[in-house]
Order: sequence, then structure tokens, then C-alpha cells
Amino acid sequence: MKRQWGMVIDLDRCTGCEACVVACHAENNLATVGRDGAARGRTMHWMRVERYWEGEFPEVRLRFQPVLCQQCGDAPCESVCPVYATYHNPEGLNAQVYNRCIGTRYCGNACPYNARVFNFFNPVWDKPLDLQLNPDVSVRSVGIMEKCTFCIQRIKQVEIRSQESKQPIADGEIQPACVQSCPANAMVFGDLDDPKSKVSQLARSNRATRLLREVGAQPNVIYLRSVS
Amino acid sequence: MDRRSFLKISAVGSTTAALDACGKPEHHLIRFIPEEDLIPGVAVWKPGVCTQCRAGCGIRVRVMQGEAEVTRKSKPGLISMGLAKKIEGNPEHPVNHGKLCAWGQAGLQVTYNPDRIRFPLKRSGQRGSGEYQAISWDDAIAELASHLPVAGSSGSPSPVAFLTQPLRDHRGALIEKFLAALGAPPAIHFEFFEQTVLRRANELSFGHRQLPSFDLANTNYVISFGADFLGTWNSPVSQNHSYGEMRQGRTEQRGKFVQVEPHMSQTGANADEWVYAKPGTEGWLALGLAHVMISERLRPAQAAGNAGALIEGWSEGLPDYTPEKVERITGVESGRIQRLARGSAAHSPAVAVIGGAPLAHTNGFSNALAVNALNALLGSVEKPGGIFFTPRPPMPSLSTSRNSASVRTLCEGILKGSPAVETLLVFNANPVFASPPAWRVQEALAKVPFIASFGSFVDETSVLSDLILPDHSYLESWVDNIPESGTTEAVVSLASPAMLPLHHTRPMPDVLLDVAHRLGGDMARAVPWKTYAGVLQAAFEELRSHPGSVTAKTDDDFWTAVQTKGGWWSNEAKGSPAMRELNRPPSPTKIVEPAFDGAASEYPFFFLPYASQQFSDGTHANLPWMQEMPDVISTAMWGTWVEINPQTASRLRIQKGDLIEVASQHGKLQAPALLTPGIAPDAVAMPVGQGHEQYGRYASHRGANPLKILAPQTEPETGALAWAATRVKITRLGKKGELILYAGSEREWPSQFQHR
Repeated sequence: MKRQWGMVIDLDRCTGCEACVVACHAENNLATVGRDGAARGRTMHWMRVERYWEGEFPEVRLRFQPVLCQQCGDAPCESVCPVYATYHNPEGLNAQVYNRCIGTRYCGNACPYNARVFNFFNPVWDKPLDLQLNPDVSVRSVGIMEKCTFCIQRIKQVEIRSQESKQPIADGEIQPACVQSCPANAMVFGDLDDPKSKVSQLARSNRATRLLREVGAQPNVIYLRSVS
Repeated sequence: MDRRSFLKISAVGSTTAALDACGKPEHHLIRFIPEEDLIPGVAVWKPGVCTQCRAGCGIRVRVMQGEAEVTRKSKPGLISMGLAKKIEGNPEHPVNHGKLCAWGQAGLQVTYNPDRIRFPLKRSGQRGSGEYQAISWDDAIAELASHLPVAGSSGSPSPVAFLTQPLRDHRGALIEKFLAALGAPPAIHFEFFEQTVLRRANELSFGHRQLPSFDLANTNYVISFGADFLGTWNSPVSQNHSYGEMRQGRTEQRGKFVQVEPHMSQTGANADEWVYAKPGTEGWLALGLAHVMISERLRPAQAAGNAGALIEGWSEGLPDYTPEKVERITGVESGRIQRLARGSAAHSPAVAVIGGAPLAHTNGFSNALAVNALNALLGSVEKPGGIFFTPRPPMPSLSTSRNSASVRTLCEGILKGSPAVETLLVFNANPVFASPPAWRVQEALAKVPFIASFGSFVDETSVLSDLILPDHSYLESWVDNIPESGTTEAVVSLASPAMLPLHHTRPMPDVLLDVAHRLGGDMARAVPWKTYAGVLQAAFEELRSHPGSVTAKTDDDFWTAVQTKGGWWSNEAKGSPAMRELNRPPSPTKIVEPAFDGAASEYPFFFLPYASQQFSDGTHANLPWMQEMPDVISTAMWGTWVEINPQTASRLRIQKGDLIEVASQHGKLQAPALLTPGIAPDAVAMPVGQGHEQYGRYASHRGANPLKILAPQTEPETGALAWAATRVKITRLGKKGELILYAGSEREWPSQFQHR
């Protein structure tokens, strides 16, 4: 059965708490780079919460927007990779084959969403922090580009279970770590090709929009505008 | 296959494919290496209880088999054991509904922290030098037991003091039993962002000495006075959850949210309307709103009942709080006051919230009473969409009746020499870091002849101890918790250890039981249990006869079932417990002016420390994930900063990142400037949590600690520290500070994200 995984992020629910950011670190073995690495802009966040100020004191507002790989339908990162390390998988994900990547960083340059991060060093975990690593996710080494995978290991796990049990995958059964953690339920994940799924119902909302539509990358992450 | 030969094959494949398949070579190519061969490992999810803050969320811990270097019988070695790999919320838990915050997610780094103390330590160098030698648990417990004199026959109390983080569990009850048997005074609970003022005000206004819960999911209008309820205050996950429902959970109604505060918090950033009121004047604004509602007959004054009667002039319609008068005091325009009052009265159910800085002024108590009266006037008390108080579970073993002292009075006593403190026990409390210098905590602790600490880390307080008896982490322990707020059901969370201990540590309650049995006699009889698990099992037997989420025929079945579920919660009709008797008849209060330390002429800025989204009060500063999580407002990582209004900065010729000195009458510090429009021109704000001198490799010597320049101002009703009542001056030092920001641009919100 063909599926198109997608995500809806409701900006009217998001409170900027950043539970998603840390959940992503924990699930996907993201390295921390420390003070010096951070000062050089080498942090490895797959998920970030952008913030924008509006107005001046006291009539001031601040807005939050979580940004992750938009899993584009027509992804600018895919066409530029000289070694086909970044490619489109049958379920619509922009997947990254780590052991193909030679670190040209063309994909990072091409990505309009700044969603890709590069390993400038081999990651280091002070022992016993290495015990926190998730064995379902490979640890990336120096010279490799990486980015959000929609927690492909969680998708696969449910798919394998569904194949074995011959039970179809229920809507909402697959939750990437960010979606699972989000305290305000601002994020919903599911199959955009299933018109009954919660994610595709929300994607049809009159508040739905996409980030940088003008680029034409056809993202599979849909934002619901904040109301006020 | 090495990369070179792989690329050769790829090239061949790609050429052939291009010839065959006309323009879709990648489909052929991908066959050589499909996406990573993912074979998910076998995992067990064990129920747990989060202890990263006081909210008491239920968690599930993903445990997988792995190899770990552990210490057994003082010897390191490699063993295969179940290891915690991920923490998530327990979907059945009534507080957090399966969700978790950033602190909770980072809990793995507490257990696996490389700076954890791995075995018992005895001081070998000078006090405070951090030089320790390893000793055995037998020796450590014997050493502790030898420093625990029982009360004298003449009635003089035992000279033992116990300083702990606030505990809402059976560890707290066990400590009390232990101290009572010794004849020592009750334990002193310490956390920097204490909630004493609000609890006391809630007791007078509503008859509940506890933090409130809010039914935001059914609210149409929220007006919050300084409460960072979506970030760091009270029960953040529960409040985020119901906030999301308030905004988009109902098809026909979207709740409105107004935030009143002097400095924009993460919570304030989400408000539909952000209102600046001068620091410490929030109570006037609340009563200004009440005045409009009463005078325009939107609400009858008597609707506020007891909470209203506590405010002077309430029955006369608050003549001293006309919008014009309130405008002069708060700086909020009278027209806006009227609009907010009419708005909240029209959008019933409406609810008011107070927390954070408004309570931390010298008039914090009257601010709280004013907001409580406003809530009562809005008709929100114990009504859908309003304010509730979480009932306590029927567990008599938890009741404590003794009133304890504060850290400040403890230190005053030690410095005076009366009452004598010969032994101090410390558990996860760090007052040396988190107290104003005038309390002289470090100096006082230096005078105590013997200090023993149970914490997992060496911090500024435990480094002064003579003996360290390291605790298990919460993933390795039996944990229970009774949430004070965040739900309308009575809840006891419970978890057995999710994994075996990594190090040669022992749970604090088990050490107390060991010591008591070694002392023998009355001590052993007062706490007859062998282990903390035994304490919990006995306590849970009390619950079985009550209707709740777990039913079982025998005590053993019940005990197993509550562990599987992650706790017990009542399934009774939702609502607050009966009002308790007041221990003092209410007398009407007038809102008093806030007092600030430092003359405005010399110290022109209000100094507003606030609980950090990354580190809370500093407890989480040793977690690398939290250090590298950008603060959502400043986007700063691995450091501290001082928030300054851009107008003020331009007047003082301060640019982003300039190192500035912030000085009060009680101390000074240096930190880089961050220009932000979310703060008043006459205030500066700083997050609490950095500036540790002693807290492991990730936190030590990083940034500045704003608490070290605070004045020892107190709120007179409760004696709580008024941490928002200090004034400061700022000076540019002429060099750059270290400001590591994640974000570049600040003002490019694409207008397409605005829904009109």
C-alpha cells in the first residue's frame, strides 16, 4: 500500500517549550558539540524552534515556529547529491544513506529550510553517556551530512509489526519522538494519502500553509497558522 | 565493499539504468543499497515517575539490553544489563497524558551523567576542596550513625538538622519519622523558587494550602499575572496540554489569553495580548479589573465570598481601585483596564492565574490575595474552565503535622550558636548556590561540625560535606509521588526501578533505614521496614479499599497492579476536596506598595531573575542536552546573558554581546548583554541556573549566577524571599562577553503564518 508520510504543526497550539528538541536528541543519537562547537555554529539539531519578534516594547509580540526537515516532495537536496546519498524513498521520505555520503555538503547548501547539519567531528560521549544511545539508530561519523528522518526507525518498527500481525497500521500508531513528546499536541503525524487520517484532515484546514511555498519544494510538513 | 568499489558499481549501474529506464536512473541505483537495514531492537517499556521538577508526571522508560561498565563490590567491570534508552510520558497518567517536557526528556543524562558520584566518599582534604577518598558502605553508615545523637533526657532536642529538596512522597514521611525518633526538629525544605506565598494565600482565600490546578481546556479567557505556566511554573506539561485544547481543541471556541508581566516569558510570548505592568503592581491591576466588573454590574461583589472579604473595600466596590488610579500605579491605561475587565467578564468561563515574579515582591502576598479575589469574582473557583485543587489520596501514612524552619533561620541559628546544630544532613538541596549572599549560608555551614550529603553530584553545598552517601538515580530507584496540582483526581504515582544501579550507590531512604537499625532501640522500632520498597508496599495497602484506577482481590495483586500501571488514581467525580478550617479568621487586607532594595537614583533598574527554561533553578545545568538546547527566546546556549531593552542599550551605548557589570547593594556580576524588545526600559532580566562554581564538567564555571546579587528582601506574611525586589545599576565594561546564539535574524516572521 502506498503511503505518503506527513506532519502537521499547529502554530496556534505550539508554546515554544522545546520538548521536541530534546526528545529528538534522545531518540536519534544527536551529538552535543559543546560550547566551542556551538559558538562556531556546529550544533546538530534536527529540530529547532525559530522565534520572531514583532513590534517594540510595550506593544511587542514573539512568535514561535518549530522547523525540521520538511520532507519535500520535490526536494532540492536530492538532485544535487553527486553520490545519491540523499534520495526519495517509496513512502515519500527524503532518506539519507550515511555510508554513501562523502560530505560535499551540496545538499545542505541546497536546502531552503536549513534543515541539514554536518558532522565536523566524530561525536564524543563522555562515558557513561554513551549508554543513552538508541541502538535502533546508527551513530554518524565525521564528514557525514544528517537530518531529520521522521524517526524512520519508529516507522519501520510499526510497519514490520503490521506485516507480521497482518493488522493494518492504525492512524496515530506511528509517532516520531517530537510528536510523541509535544505537551500541547501541536504536532500530528500520519499518512497524507489516507483522506481519513487526522493529519490529512488537518492539512485541509483553512489555516494550512507551507514554509517557503514560493520555492516549490512541495513540503510534506504542513503548518497551521496561528490565529492571533 | 569499500567506498571506491561501491562508487564504481554505482556508476556502472547508473549508466545502464539511464539507458534502460529513460530518465529514472535513481530507481535502479537505489536497489543496491536500500535505506538502512533497520531491525528494531527488543525493548521493554517500564512505568516510572519523573522527578525532574515537582509536578510528578508519569513516565515510561524504554529499557533494552546492553553492555555497561558498572561498579560492583567496589570493582569496575563490564556486564550485560537492561539499560534505559528513552523516557516518554505515561499515556494513562492524569497529570501529563503521555506527554513530557524538555527536562523530563533529558532525564537519561541524570542517570548516565559522567559526574555522578559512584561510591561513598569521606573527606580527605580541607573542607570545600572537593578532595575525598572512597570508603565502604559499612564504614560510611557506621560513620553517619556515630554522628546522630539522640535527644537528651532533659528535653533538649537532638542537634541534628535535615535539609532536603521538597518531597511529596514517602521519603518525606520517612525522614519525618526518622527525625521525630531522634528527637530532632522537622526537616527543612529548600528550593529557590518556593511557592509558600501562593500556598498561604490560597489557604486564606480558598481553604487549600496548595498550588492550584487549572481547567484550561474548558476556559474561554485566561488572564495570567506573571505565571510562566507554559514553561517552568507549577505543572507545565499538564498546563501545556490543556492550553493546546483551549486554543484548538474545541470547534466553536478558541480561548483568549492575556499575560501581564514585566518581562516577556515563554508563556507571555503565546498570549493574544501582552500587558506590561510595573513590577509589583499586579495586585492593583487585578483589583482594578474587579472594580470595573463590580461598578458596571458585570459581576456582583458578593460572588467573591471569602476571597473577596479578604480585600479591604471589597463590599463597597473597591473605591480605591478606579481605572484612573490603577493606571497611575500600574502604568496600564484605564481604557485597557476597562476593556480587559469587560472581556473577561463576557467570555465566561474565565480564569485568573498568578505565579512567578508578582509573588516574589515584598507585597507578593497581597498580590496573590487580589488575584484570588478576582478569580472568585469571575466565578471560576471549582467550576468547569476554572481553578481547582487536587485532592490528596487517602494515605494516612503521609500526614505530617510539624512546621519546619527555613534555610535562612537555620543559618541564623547556626551563626548565633543556638540552637546547636552538630550534624547536618543534606539531600538534593543547594542553598549555597541558590540564596542571597546576606543569608551567609556558606559561612554558616562551615561552622557545622559534621555534614553528610546524599546527593548524586558534588555541588556548591555538598562539596562542604564530610561524608557523601550517593543516592541512586530516579531510574534506578523505587519512586513515588503525590502531585500537588495539575489534575483534578487524587493521584499517587509509583514506580519500581527501571534498571539496575550503574554505580556503587544506595537509595537515601534505604540508608536512613540502615542507620536506624544500626542505632537500634526506639530508632529501629520507629521505622520497622527493611527497605524503602517495604515502606511503599505497606503504604499502598491503605489504598486498596478505595475505588480507583486499580482494583485487586489481594494486597499482593494490588501491589503488582499499581506497579504495572505506574500508580493509582481515584476515578471519583472530579472536584476539589472539602475546604479546610482556617487557622486564623480572615481580616481585610490592603495592597501595600512593593519595597525595593536600592535607591532608584543610584540603582535605576528593576532586577528580574527568572526560572530558566533550560535549567530551572540551576538543577539541570549539568545536563549537556539542556546546555545545548537554545533558550527559546534568546536562542542562547552554554551561557548566561542580561536582557536589556534596545532603547536603554542605545542610551548607554551597549551593543549585543557587550560585557556589562550588573551591581546591586549586595554584589555584582558580569555577563554579556542581549538586546530584547520584551523588557521594560527600566528593568534588566537574567535567567537563573548558570554560574555554578562546583557542579560537574558541563555546568562549572559557566556564566553568572544572578542570585548572588540579590538583596535579602522578604515577604512579611510568610518570610519567603522576595527575589524580584532588588534594584541594580549596569555599566558597560568595554569588551565583548561570550554570547553564543543559535539564531541569526530576529524579525522575519513570514506574514503567511498569520491567520486572519
